[in-house]
Amino acid sequence: MNVVQATLSGALIGGLYALMAIGLSVTWGVLRVINLAHFGLILIGAYLTFQLTTSWGIDPLLTLVVTVPAMFVAGAVLQWVFDRLALAEFNSLLVSFGLLIITIQVASNVWSADFQRMDAAVNPYATESVSIGRLVFPVTTLLAFVLAGLVVLGAHLVLRRTFAGRALRAIAQDRAVAGAFGVDHRKLSLLLGGAVGATAALAGAVFSLSNALTPETAYEWFGIVFAVVILGGIGEVVGTFAAGVLVGVLSGVVSVVWSPATAPFVLFSAIILALLLRPRGLFAMGAVR
Amino acid sequence: MTAGVRGAVVLLVVLAGLLALGVFAPDLDFPSFYLVLLGTAFFWIAQTSSWNLLSGYAGYFSFGQAAYVGVGAYCTAVLTGRHGVSFYWTVPLAAVLCGLLALGIGAVAFRLGSLRGEIFALLTLAVPFILSALARINGDIDGGQGTIVTPPEAPGDLDFQQFQYLLALIVAAVAVGVSYLVQHSRAGSALTAIHDDEDVAEVLGVPTFRYKILAIVAGGVLGGVAGSVYALQIGFVTVESVFGLTIPLFVIVMAVLGGRSHWLGPVLGALLIVGLQDRLSSYGLDSWNAIFLGAILVVLVAAAPDGLYARLKARPWAALIAFVVVCGTLAIVNLWGEELDWVLAGMLAAAAVAIVLGTRREPVPAQPEAEAVAATVSTVELEPDDDVPPVGDVVVECRNVAKHFGGVRALEDVSLDIRAGELIGLIGPNGSGKTTLVNLLSGTFRPTRGEIRVGGKDITRLAPHQIAHVGMARTYQIPKPFGSMTVRDNVATAIMFGREPMSLRAARPLAEEHLATVSLDHLADSHPASLNLHQRQLLETARAIASGPKVLLLDEALAGLNPAELDNAVRVVRRIHRSGITIVIVEHLLRVLNQVCTRIVVLDRGTKLADGEPRTVMSDPDVVRAYLGRQAHV
Repeated sequence: MNVVQATLSGALIGGLYALMAIGLSVTWGVLRVINLAHFGLILIGAYLTFQLTTSWGIDPLLTLVVTVPAMFVAGAVLQWVFDRLALAEFNSLLVSFGLLIITIQVASNVWSADFQRMDAAVNPYATESVSIGRLVFPVTTLLAFVLAGLVVLGAHLVLRRTFAGRALRAIAQDRAVAGAFGVDHRKLSLLLGGAVGATAALAGAVFSLSNALTPETAYEWFGIVFAVVILGGIGEVVGTFAAGVLVGVLSGVVSVVWSPATAPFVLFSAIILALLLRPRGLFAMGAVR
Repeated sequence: MTAGVRGAVVLLVVLAGLLALGVFAPDLDFPSFYLVLLGTAFFWIAQTSSWNLLSGYAGYFSFGQAAYVGVGAYCTAVLTGRHGVSFYWTVPLAAVLCGLLALGIGAVAFRLGSLRGEIFALLTLAVPFILSALARINGDIDGGQGTIVTPPEAPGDLDFQQFQYLLALIVAAVAVGVSYLVQHSRAGSALTAIHDDEDVAEVLGVPTFRYKILAIVAGGVLGGVAGSVYALQIGFVTVESVFGLTIPLFVIVMAVLGGRSHWLGPVLGALLIVGLQDRLSSYGLDSWNAIFLGAILVVLVAAAPDGLYARLKARPWAALIAFVVVCGTLAIVNLWGEELDWVLAGMLAAAAVAIVLGTRREPVPAQPEAEAVAATVSTVELEPDDDVPPVGDVVVECRNVAKHFGGVRALEDVSLDIRAGELIGLIGPNGSGKTTLVNLLSGTFRPTRGEIRVGGKDITRLAPHQIAHVGMARTYQIPKPFGSMTVRDNVATAIMFGREPMSLRAARPLAEEHLATVSLDHLADSHPASLNLHQRQLLETARAIASGPKVLLLDEALAGLNPAELDNAVRVVRRIHRSGITIVIVEHLLRVLNQVCTRIVVLDRGTKLADGEPRTVMSDPDVVRAYLGRQAHV
């Protein structure tokens, strides 16, 4: 029973990992930018939700009306900067690392380095849960899973079915040739950057519902989120979702069967094995990239 | 005295001075505050220099330096603080542990066939994360509460500040020394070649895996020892202070700021950043530290990715003047700050001046003297040579070689003997498997089936560098020179790791001879970026023959050339052939092949269609149909 519960809870938490990872994966795959600053956007998104809820006393999910457009703009600006600098893939990693450091320090200066948690009075989601038989699921993880599913579905449909999506896939394959065929790379990458920023706002909001915030959290996401990106296959939307669920289940089950301490070991050993056996990702079908 | 030796002498003099400063600090009234500050600088110099071995020289950026610092520091803290072990025992233990850790990371990461720099960076990022989780959870380590270090008695009449200063100094000196020695040895050339183009380095005979492991282990051992001494410096070791992301952040910012291709770069970067940090703290701006560091990283990667060292070298006097003017003015006016502020302001001014003025001037691509080349063209002898070496024994044997890519059968059942002294033209329509065959012969791919023997030795299981040592060399269709080296050093690197290993110093004069063979000796000091296509192809050829091959594979070495360049290239091919090297040349220009080759092999859709005298092969009706189309008349 414990294992069943752990598997299902892990899968739901995996939705949050996927929500965090998807933007990273798409910017890496399509725009060739390894955007560590994405973690900064998630962090700021989380703090904005926390701040708006705390000072105005509104429902945390309502804050998305503010944070999603704000993060859309932030993501687009970020992408504009990357475009202007015309960075090589690796240098984008360094530049965005610098930006992340700045973001974390600014967050720490504004909101202090201490843990901050939304007051239970304004955050009804933290304590509620849904029970099915003897299985219990916190509402927050259900929410994360549903949101991740919707984002993945949306991104998948956009990339497959729309003109903009096809153009983005063309950019992913060969930017110069796509440009020669009239694909406006600048405009599309700004749009994509914005959309990725919006997913950061969602991920941040969901994270802040059930967790206490500290600026250093951004670093703690690194390991698991990159594991999801790499396992899912860089630029693979559906693969990222599957990898998120897989990673969630794996950590959940290992934590229950052995101990939470062993989870990182098992997880990262699995990643290294996966890299050895399936270097393009477990779920890569060669779609976007 | 060469620049390298001068650098070593200066390094030793500075080391002696700093040692004396540490030992006689009380007699000199040297404030212990400065000793602590310098000790911190030494720690970062050691970290950045050891990180630079793999991540700077070879270009495999690591975000995992904190793993070594953490293991080293925890080794010392836990053993001295909880188990009463002598500090002096914990240092070698830290070195061994970190060496093994680095070996483990390298053995796994560098075995990944598809390892790219970004993936390596992210893998190394995960390592400190795992280790810090281990320390937090495992009560035998410290369970996350932190551990107080029990320092050893300072020897002689040194006080503790002097002692930690001297220890850190020695570790930093060793790290810088190793970094210096690596740069000036064969390993340095190998790592630079890996940095520029790893596949080419391997094909030229550089055992890339071995050198990457060497670099990562050396970096790990030095990082661990410095971490062990760091535990003593900070006194209280916590997970955050030694496994945190500030360690790789500092190291990366320092190395990017100073420059990664020279041993002095990390030292400069570390001094500047430590100075800046100290001044910011002294003005109560600690919360701005990370913002400054992040901004420096962003601006530098975008504006001056080659780092300070190269810029300072380009404009040393301007930088010195800026330093003296700013530092001197502040000191004379004496309205603001104290000595350290003035020195740091001077250093920042010098750095800024160097970065702005020292922009590397892009070399103007050398225009080939078209007239001069054209004038010599008419004399080219296109008649058959008399002094062609006689055809000898079989050197390369391909038996039923097949190569499949998934469902695509690029080569199927190809058998081919290559005899010493032959000049074989390998032709066939696009997609017929010519380049695949070259890739199999040079070890870039392994055959799906079949056997390839060179001099009687089966090479199908050998790594490309081992195949190079058996006597196989190749060029690439699109030239792939080592971008950061001069033309001469491109060739010299191939000699150093060729069949007769030698030092860079010994290889350079030989490189000139090979450059003369391809008529490129006048460009020996240029960088590949300033060469035109023809010159790059010649460089590619010179580099291939420099490894001392028995068989040279030329992959479309004549493509895209104008008639004058073509004649020149053909002359070079003949010259190489006459010197006794067997040549396989992949080409589309039948007219040229007809004249130079002793034999022609035709591939079509992955199988061998014809093999024989140029004249016979060219008139074979099957060949005409496959290669030139049905309607062709020859």
